[in-house]
Amino acid sequence: MFESIAAALGPEIYQYLLAGLVTGLLYALIALGYTMVYGIIELINFAHGDLFMLGAFFSLQLAIWVGAAGAKGQATGEFAVLAVAIMLVAAPVFCAALNVTVDRVVYKPLRNAPKLAPLVSAIGVSFIFMNIGVFWMGTYDLNFPELIPPTNLTPGYRVEFTYQHLMVIVVTLPVMVALTLFVRYTALGKAMRATAQNPTAAQLMGINVDRVIAATFAIGGALAGVAAVVYGLYVNSAGYQMGFQTGLFAFTAAVLGGIGNIPGAVLGGILIGLIEKLGTGYVGDQWRQPLIFAILIVILIFRPNGILGARTREKV
Amino acid sequence: MSLRGAAGYWMVAGFVLLAALPFLQGRYIATYGTQLIPVLCFAILALGLNVVVGYTGLLHLGIAAFFGIGAYVTAILTTSGFPFASSFLVAAVAAMLVAAAVGVATTAPTLRLRGDYLALVTMGFGIITVSVIRNLDALTDGTKGLTPVSPNFFPGFDDPVFEKSRPGWKDSWRGYPRLYYLCLAVLAGVVIFLRNLERSRLGRAWVAMREDELAASCMGLNPAKLKLSAIALGAGLAGLAGALFAISQDGTTEPRAYGFERSMLVICCIILGGLGNRPGVLLGVVLLVGYDQIVTSMLDNWLQEQKVNPEGKEYLKVSGWRLFIFGLALILMMRFRPEGMLPAARQKRELHPERDEAAGERAAKAEAEAKDKPVDRGKKNE
Amino acid sequence: MGNRKIDRRKFLATGGVAAVGAGVLALSGCGGTPKPTEKEAPKPGDPTPGTKETIRIVSSLPRTGSARGQTNTIVNGIQMAVEEYMADANSKFVIDYKDWDDATAASGSWDGPTEKANAQKAVADPDVMAYIGPYNSNAAKISMPELNEAGLVQVSPAVTWPGLTKKIKGVAPDEPEKYQPFKPKRVHFCRVCTTDDLQGPLAADFAAEELKVKKVYILNDKELYGEGLAKLFRQRAEELKMEIVGDEGIDTAAVEYGGLMTKIKGTNPDLVYFGGTTQSKGGQIAKDLVKSGLMCPMLAPDGCYEQAFIDSAGAANLNNRTYVTIVGLDPSQLTGKGAEFVKKYKEKFKTDPEAFALYGYECAKVVLAAIIKAGKKDREEIRKAVLATKSFTDGAVGGAEGWSFDRNGDTTLRQVTVSRVEGGKFIPKKTITK
Repeated sequence: MFESIAAALGPEIYQYLLAGLVTGLLYALIALGYTMVYGIIELINFAHGDLFMLGAFFSLQLAIWVGAAGAKGQATGEFAVLAVAIMLVAAPVFCAALNVTVDRVVYKPLRNAPKLAPLVSAIGVSFIFMNIGVFWMGTYDLNFPELIPPTNLTPGYRVEFTYQHLMVIVVTLPVMVALTLFVRYTALGKAMRATAQNPTAAQLMGINVDRVIAATFAIGGALAGVAAVVYGLYVNSAGYQMGFQTGLFAFTAAVLGGIGNIPGAVLGGILIGLIEKLGTGYVGDQWRQPLIFAILIVILIFRPNGILGARTREKV
Repeated sequence: MSLRGAAGYWMVAGFVLLAALPFLQGRYIATYGTQLIPVLCFAILALGLNVVVGYTGLLHLGIAAFFGIGAYVTAILTTSGFPFASSFLVAAVAAMLVAAAVGVATTAPTLRLRGDYLALVTMGFGIITVSVIRNLDALTDGTKGLTPVSPNFFPGFDDPVFEKSRPGWKDSWRGYPRLYYLCLAVLAGVVIFLRNLERSRLGRAWVAMREDELAASCMGLNPAKLKLSAIALGAGLAGLAGALFAISQDGTTEPRAYGFERSMLVICCIILGGLGNRPGVLLGVVLLVGYDQIVTSMLDNWLQEQKVNPEGKEYLKVSGWRLFIFGLALILMMRFRPEGMLPAARQKRELHPERDEAAGERAAKAEAEAKDKPVDRGKKNE
Repeated sequence: MGNRKIDRRKFLATGGVAAVGAGVLALSGCGGTPKPTEKEAPKPGDPTPGTKETIRIVSSLPRTGSARGQTNTIVNGIQMAVEEYMADANSKFVIDYKDWDDATAASGSWDGPTEKANAQKAVADPDVMAYIGPYNSNAAKISMPELNEAGLVQVSPAVTWPGLTKKIKGVAPDEPEKYQPFKPKRVHFCRVCTTDDLQGPLAADFAAEELKVKKVYILNDKELYGEGLAKLFRQRAEELKMEIVGDEGIDTAAVEYGGLMTKIKGTNPDLVYFGGTTQSKGGQIAKDLVKSGLMCPMLAPDGCYEQAFIDSAGAANLNNRTYVTIVGLDPSQLTGKGAEFVKKYKEKFKTDPEAFALYGYECAKVVLAAIIKAGKKDREEIRKAVLATKSFTDGAVGGAEGWSFDRNGDTTLRQVTVSRVEGGKFIPKKTITK
């Protein structure tokens, strides 16, 4: 029976599934940044997608400085491994530092303000990031060097599995596992979970809530930085508008899985990735976006707190 | 004079000034007047969103979709490509009803979602609507847009032909200054209607629900009905604004005009101006839309005349910094005046119960003394 | 934060003063009085500065957002033409060129109300004698009626929707009359670029004859320009008995098109035609085609004819397999005045001119030639002179014979050149004249 369904869908189904999975892992990585910040301070960090965009620009700049890419982002064929290594270290640091700074300057004074205030500030930060992106790299999409080649590793099979796919999986999966372990077992991770549950109680138990929040922003930013590098190496382009679209899908992924929930964000990301690719394949590329949001709405109607989200009690 | 009175005073003064505008002397008066027509439409749109976000506290991120539905319903009912050939009055009423119906139909199943989930669903609805408009070529003509939207005003009567008595004046009611006055009158009507509504049973029930849904439902209010009525009214006003916008643009322009960016801009307008407060919302629209569409281009033209930027560097242009200034304004506003420029009196009273509006100076003095124990702003939320 | 009441009063007072101030400014016509000519920096070779009359030329193009790169080159071209005019000691007028933006920060691209306001501002300013622009066909639909009523000549460097000027198959039944409300009928709009109904079909001819294409997959960006071209390409391709193995719109908001490429690969086409521009992800489509292992060539229209397209796709992904059609000739094919322009442009801006720089220059040249011919500051005379342009050779693209405006305001230069990307540059392969 499975075979007959697969036949009806055509031989491309496997490729769609693979592409969906890989894209989904990338969305998940960004979604984690949304979900962690939301879990702690209930802020939809609208600027997160644009932070990701700046991370991609920073990585591209690094590649140019190292000499792995020319001024137009074309690969020079040299220093590829060195550049990737430097990017994977420097871009997360850059994004983490930027995210923490923004938190300190913009969101921190608003901790006790009504909920809309930090949300609107985040929209403001997003605009500023976008403007910086335009000044930095201009308005056109730029080529991101193919430091990892899209060479097929499985010739003769129905699925083309390339070095780029492999790279995404090799980088993102360990990061996610490490994050889960970190949140579950380290002292800081426990402090994060405690703060997420009840900031006042956490403070009473001797947890420095401000430091925990800063650490959350740092980790979220670093994840966006990793995602930026991997995304750049996978799609081989960077542009100032990439943050909005990718951030939107990542945020959707976070909500779909249950915002504030780490496994939920990963699940949501992968789901969105799969819907996106299968939607392009069987419905049409122009219907990709409405399809994703329609499915999101339907799922939320039946599971109002996301797929893995816990029921929240109404505070009186 | 009480603060509420002051805000109302300025609003009336603003309306009088706007009404006098077409009779002023000046070469560009007609241009400014025409530029103001879409601003007036956005003001109606913002007031509609204010019903949803300001009165009932539902964060709706897809209001521009209703704006678009209004514009497209008007276009479908009036353009020559369809067999309806309705008049403007019919089309505008239909635009309001369809937008309100879509609002109710799409919100009803999602009412049990919590705040942020609902925000995402409304955003998703907005994005779906624009995609459908863009992709459903048979109905909407895709990105080509439906033109021309030039119906009669009354059903069954031919339009009067006006005199072009001043430069820039058009002979049709769809042109400046008749359309300008129509939009201004509709806006004034909406303002008065909302003013009365705020004081009605329904308006007070909305506020009660915004403040504490649980307590409100214990008092016998039905939150679902209240939310749906707010969405219906907000979406209906947005649809009306869309109908006027389609007339002013003589077409539906591009589907993009009804997208997420428009929703964000309107949200920013009402938050910057003062959530829940009509004069504040209008001020926000004037400031943000005015800055975006009028002030930047004026400043850029001025800069160009000064010839300070012969090579055309982007960072030497005001337009290059638009997003930056926009973002900075939002951040500073939230930091130093999160209640908006002209906040709703009720919100202020809730924040400072000790302050009596009638005894302004005395209360201000008392507050200055009580400066050592600042009032926790977080209370507003609970 | 202490004394809120007073703060608010002060705020209201200042707000009020500001509002009244703004009102007074508006009353006084706010820049309504044109700056006197003395303010213009006298150009070298200008014998008596300040005695000449000022003529203002405005352009209305999206200067914010993603189209900025292309409009920059248009503005460069216009500026060069204006400078050439001003450098001529015999010129009768002082040309004051204004570069207006029809985009807003909020939308990131052209905006209806802004384009309309630009048109009205131009009409209201008695010094404005010509309106160059807009860049987008839908924007033209908004500004054209305003300018038509005022009789202000409008020359566009980039608007290609056929329905704006003429009745052909595929345009709306009430086009183009609905853009010409003035009675009796008068034509005020013309364009130096040719329309989509030439480029689309000729691209299909090229695909059939030169590339021997049997199966084609057509993509479009769901914009007026790209979708229109894709439709016209398809019509011609069907006439030529090509098999259309796929025809769909893409989501231009997407970052990559891996899924789409898998789908295309399943149909095994000989050619992918992309109706769209660099901003609507032309570069990414080309890149993902290669990445998915599709070996067929790609054909794109002049919206992709710019260095930014090659840069964004990565030259290595395009070389020897990507064809781009342009209207007219490639800048490298130009001779005479065109070659001169290319040389001067390179000296001034340190890059090769792109096709849109040529059109921008051409627009301004046509307008300036008409101003010289009319000899006086009169909108009607200048409009007539522009539309009467015949055998125009002063610009960059006219060559030896020059081109003319037909009675609809369309250029008679009906040439399409197909270029192939080789070594990271566009190399012209074939010029088709019709």
